[in-house]
Amino acid sequence: MSPPILALEAVSKSFGGLRVIEDLSFEILPGERVALIGPNGAGKTTAFNLITGVFPVDAGRILLDGADITRLPARKRIRAGLARTFQNVRLLAHLTVLENVMVAQYARNASLAGILQPVNLRAGNRWQRAARAALEAVGLGQYAARPTGGLPYGIQKRVELVRALAAQPRVLLLDEPAAGLNPAETEALREQLETISAGGVTLLVVEHDMHFIGAFCRRVVVLNFGCKIAECDADAVGDDPRVREAYLGNQTAFAHAA
Amino acid sequence: MSGYLEGVLVLLAINVILAYAAFLPIVAGQLNLGVAGFMATGAYVSAYLTNAHAWLPVPAALAGMGLTAALALVVAVPILRTRGIYLALATFAFGQVVQATILNLNVVGGASGYPVAAHIGAAVIAAFAVVVFVLVYLLFHTRFGISVTAVSDDELVADQMGLSVRWLQTAAFVIGSAIAGLAGALQAHHFSYIEAQGFNVLLSIYIVLYVLLGGTQTIYGPLLGAAVFTLLPELLRGSAQWRYVIFAGLILALMTWRPQGVVTRSLLRRLLDWRRPAAEAA
Amino acid sequence: MLAQQLVNGIMLGSVYALVAVAFTFTMGILRFLNFSIPGIFMVAGMVTWAMLKGGASLFLVVPAALAAGAALSWIVERLTYPQMSRGDHFVPLVSSMAFLILLENLMLVAWGSDQQRVVPPFQSVSARLGDLVIGVPQLLGLVLAVGVVAVLDLVLRRTGVGRGVRAIAEDTETATLLGVSVDRVVPLVFMIGGVFTALAGVLFALNYQQASPFMGEEVALKAISAMVVGGMGNIWGAIVGGLVIGIVETAAIHLFGARTVDIWVYGLLLAILFVRPTGLLGGAIAKGRA
Repeated sequence: MSPPILALEAVSKSFGGLRVIEDLSFEILPGERVALIGPNGAGKTTAFNLITGVFPVDAGRILLDGADITRLPARKRIRAGLARTFQNVRLLAHLTVLENVMVAQYARNASLAGILQPVNLRAGNRWQRAARAALEAVGLGQYAARPTGGLPYGIQKRVELVRALAAQPRVLLLDEPAAGLNPAETEALREQLETISAGGVTLLVVEHDMHFIGAFCRRVVVLNFGCKIAECDADAVGDDPRVREAYLGNQTAFAHAA
Repeated sequence: MSGYLEGVLVLLAINVILAYAAFLPIVAGQLNLGVAGFMATGAYVSAYLTNAHAWLPVPAALAGMGLTAALALVVAVPILRTRGIYLALATFAFGQVVQATILNLNVVGGASGYPVAAHIGAAVIAAFAVVVFVLVYLLFHTRFGISVTAVSDDELVADQMGLSVRWLQTAAFVIGSAIAGLAGALQAHHFSYIEAQGFNVLLSIYIVLYVLLGGTQTIYGPLLGAAVFTLLPELLRGSAQWRYVIFAGLILALMTWRPQGVVTRSLLRRLLDWRRPAAEAA
Repeated sequence: MLAQQLVNGIMLGSVYALVAVAFTFTMGILRFLNFSIPGIFMVAGMVTWAMLKGGASLFLVVPAALAAGAALSWIVERLTYPQMSRGDHFVPLVSSMAFLILLENLMLVAWGSDQQRVVPPFQSVSARLGDLVIGVPQLLGLVLAVGVVAVLDLVLRRTGVGRGVRAIAEDTETATLLGVSVDRVVPLVFMIGGVFTALAGVLFALNYQQASPFMGEEVALKAISAMVVGGMGNIWGAIVGGLVIGIVETAAIHLFGARTVDIWVYGLLLAILFVRPTGLLGGAIAKGRA
């Protein structure tokens, strides 16, 4: 069994006096597709924020491919291969779609030479071409020169995914990628994620849409009140009594996945 | 070229250089209300070198620029820990302290002003303006340009996407301040006289305002702002005060109806499309 | 003598305190650094000079100056508040700076750049307290400054309008939901600031017998330091900050010479911003560090 690509060991975090993550441990193997679920307020986005370095942990360790990244500054984590998307899409307002994608390319070339790459000088620059190709590959090429402001929500979400991938991560954290998407967009997203996963990228997905999870993820980690309360296969999660209790009798969501 | 026209050209060149001194921090999300303080530093350091140590004026100007950059680097550490209005206030306070300090340095004239013997001609100053424009143009079109805009838009996202936020903010601040120092040195050596009273907060405000008038979305906005600010009094032959009244009125009108400034990305795109309709779309 | 300097500093500080209250009031409630305030200060001072020179009685001059302050602030509100609600954060600051330039240069056009001598229509009476000389007009100015701030504080805490103002300071949307008439309260906030500033301008002109188109830059701008030192958004902090700056300035003149004043006043501002941005009394706005 290969070593985990992402591991949390007894991670805890408090804000003020409130304990939001309690002794959280789990491992993800290379190439896996794991869902992180739990009721609202369970700490899923906080867990993401700890993994990507938005906040420091109070206790415990985070390991990326065996290396301890617990004290590593956030900007170095994406350079080490750990990228993410945001729950409420956060595209950069004064840059075009293409430029948003290009921002994340720096993670592959983080140096003085990297910052001085003349990416916007001529249209044929290789970084520009790479970003454009990435957008075209998922059908978003027509939006490349558009400012991000007026774009439909579904398009923005997909652009954010292309941006995260521009860093060529080994592990991709997706915070509610399907939220706010209509069925057609959700299907397009699922296809896009299939392609990404087939390329060897490990996926950790926070989601509420059990249908989506059931169709896509192999394993599920369940959080409630900041603790891991269960960890099982996606098709078994609906039967777990602790999970059902956490969702306070919300049986309908699980009826579909089972 | 007549003396009058040459004078206007020099003013335009210096205002262009100052425009880019303010432009870089603004793109990085910093409102530098202490630009005049950095300009003063470059002016006085270079003037001292040519007056007291017989340096040649152009190397002195570059040395003035270098020392201004060093000063900016030192103050950037505490100043860039602040954000938003606190940052603007810190730069304002810094500019005031620099001005008041120079006022008390009798070795460079104190309150009586400082005559400058060595001279830099109009052609050299115009050349410097062109060089500054070209260098800032190139810098803006590298990954640096996208990165500082990203930092200005959303610091958290910029950090998460791997950018060195502090480094980028510091670079924009220091480079901008150094450029202001260069402008100060050139002005000192052309108009042959500098006084601390001239490098006040109003000057910083004028510079920031005409850059915002031109527009900070593209590299061309500052050029337009500097041109408008320099040429307005020449077009309206009234007193100097009326020029500022009209300028203030323009700013107020702009902030009400077009706060992004005159030159925007979409305007630029439309201008380019109109001139080359065969250009690739999107 | 040190105690006399302290007294002088406190008297000067009362002027700074009033302007600082105006700054901190708009800052605390609208998150907006109103750079037009020094301009209004200057206009009030110039109006005082001009009207007194024309022979007007003080009973006409003071209300006229205060009315000018209120009117100008209302204009500034019209030029800046709509942009604030549009979401652009720097636009109001920029507009207020443009307004300052407008006012200063209009004054220069009207009356030139000379500093004018203000002749107050009352005797300059001094009280003696042991070795200390206390100018009665200045003392009245101090009492007035503290008094109007106390009244403002009461209004904010005890009246319906005051509650509306505090609600807007918390969150404009919530305030609207709670029934606060934001469109009428916000201009009021501006005008209160304008009246305080104008009062300071009148007091300065009368007590220091001078007015010039540059007095906004030279005097009122230092009140920004007072505001931050006392704590942004805190009106009692503005009083404390104003007195501190007044004392610092007077001590600096006495110990190091008048030319060093700005080093001390703005150096203090810089130090506070670096070390304790919430100021001495802490402000309504606590964030300022990354």
